[in-house]
Amino acid sequence: MKQVNIGSGSAYWGDMLEPAVEMAERGNVQYIGFDHLAELTMALLNRMKLKNPEMGYIPDIIPWMKKLLPVTVPRGIKMVTDAGGANPLQAAREVKKVIKDLNLGPMKIGVVSGDDVLPYLDDIRRQGFKFTNLDTGEEDIDRIKENIVAANAYTGADEIIAELKNGADMIITGRVSDNALYVGPLMYEFGWEYTDAYVNQIAAAVTIGHIIECAECVTGGMSNMWKASERPWEIGFPIVEVFENGDAIVTKTPDSGGIVNTWTVKEHLLYEVIDPHNYLMPDGIADFSAIKLEDVGFNRVKVSNFSGKKRPDTLKLCIGYKDGYIGEGMVLLPAPDALEKAKFCDKWLRERFKILGVEFEELRIDYIGVNTLYGEAGEIEDKDYNEVGIRVAGKARTRQEAETVRREATHLWTMGPIGSSFGTPMKVRPVIKLWPTLVPREAVRTESELMEVK
Amino acid sequence: MKKVQLKELAYARSGDKGDVCNVGIMAKTRNVYEFLVRTITPEKIKAYYEGMVKGDVEIYPLPNIDSLQIVLRQSLGGGATCTLRFDQTGKSMGPVLLGMVVEADEALIDEAANASAAIEKR
Repeated sequence: MKQVNIGSGSAYWGDMLEPAVEMAERGNVQYIGFDHLAELTMALLNRMKLKNPEMGYIPDIIPWMKKLLPVTVPRGIKMVTDAGGANPLQAAREVKKVIKDLNLGPMKIGVVSGDDVLPYLDDIRRQGFKFTNLDTGEEDIDRIKENIVAANAYTGADEIIAELKNGADMIITGRVSDNALYVGPLMYEFGWEYTDAYVNQIAAAVTIGHIIECAECVTGGMSNMWKASERPWEIGFPIVEVFENGDAIVTKTPDSGGIVNTWTVKEHLLYEVIDPHNYLMPDGIADFSAIKLEDVGFNRVKVSNFSGKKRPDTLKLCIGYKDGYIGEGMVLLPAPDALEKAKFCDKWLRERFKILGVEFEELRIDYIGVNTLYGEAGEIEDKDYNEVGIRVAGKARTRQEAETVRREATHLWTMGPIGSSFGTPMKVRPVIKLWPTLVPREAVRTESELMEVK
Repeated sequence: MKKVQLKELAYARSGDKGDVCNVGIMAKTRNVYEFLVRTITPEKIKAYYEGMVKGDVEIYPLPNIDSLQIVLRQSLGGGATCTLRFDQTGKSMGPVLLGMVVEADEALIDEAANASAAIEKR
């Protein structure tokens, strides 16, 4: 039975490079997917592109490709990366330079773009479509229209498959769904198509993509198994051995640290999923309720019994819009009377904001070490803490108002209780709020091309 | 019957999708799973996260992996990009839920303790 080995080399912009290189060196994989994008990242990249039309991709792609290409090219490993961000074509031009400099050609780069719906949002609305907010139910985007900075559709694997068929040796995309980076190669290799006959196989690909797309998060990273994870400082990234019938073995780079067992797979299967019976992706809908997990060896888990439904007619569209500013401050307070000192700071800050007449949309003060994560779920124990921190965060319409949070918190350093300790003040940050919605699949103008490097 | 924190019976992992937080609860044994299905209700969850969860709570049982998917709507201060929460993406919400106190049979608690010893050893 045909087998395809595919691994994950990155979960986010800023992930660790070494595990990806190690996978390329000794993972025996044919494909490695790299995800660098998140909702906020797309907004940032769009802003970078506005300032400079030659930017807007993940700049890390250049140093990463310098390390990775010399390992992947001789082994014939195909990388599929969304580092193109808001400017996949420019990212491909940069990678082309790297390939030439390192004399690794000839190579063909498949470039996938067209997820940016912003230029034709109004066209779609004129056709009578409304961008209802999936979180709040607000009917359309009229209220936020002037403040929109990004609108990217989570597209599927169609164009990735098309370029692999055209002979691409690597793929650079914009905002395709993270999942499609894995679904694309699997559908291409096994010849699975978007027809009723392959819904369960595509569901397998969607599920497999989901299991590995956050890289280290299924091999012992942020895991309940953190104590059992071996050499977590040399964590291995996940590899899936996929068979023609969709069954798969989840494992990781040989001789790496970390852990893979049914528990790490379970925790990731559930991770960031809403309805596990209908895991909606642009390429298909996976149902996790029948999946079978078995430990079949050391750091090896078999996943089987996949089922699903045909891909939806709409794509997820994430609209980002400017929505005020957040200011933050922090002070750490030592014993004696650490908790009492924190309460003093709390009152001091609120009195200051009253005197200054700042109108926050929202103001939050947490006691670090006491209730920052537990909120109301925990009780504030009136005990003798060695230290308690205070964190204040305020959201305001203007940068100036948000700035008062930072400034008053720094005043607390010299006007607060004895022993108040501080680090470096935190910068005010602009808020890009997200408007999750749907867009008809056919309205999104996805496209791809093949860039040849001699 | 004995009072016990959920952490003795199950594991949890949480994450975000906009303003929605999901908490995957993984029972340490099949009997614990069945106990949790009977015991955990959306009302109890919402009451536990007092003030933190502003929207609905949904629970999806997954008997194939002895797990529950708990969905907390409007629970992350508007979502990672605009929240004032220090934990912007809800990573701590799962472990926080493991502090919930339930009443269980002592035999079930022992069973879970034995299971964790086996699971967490390599």
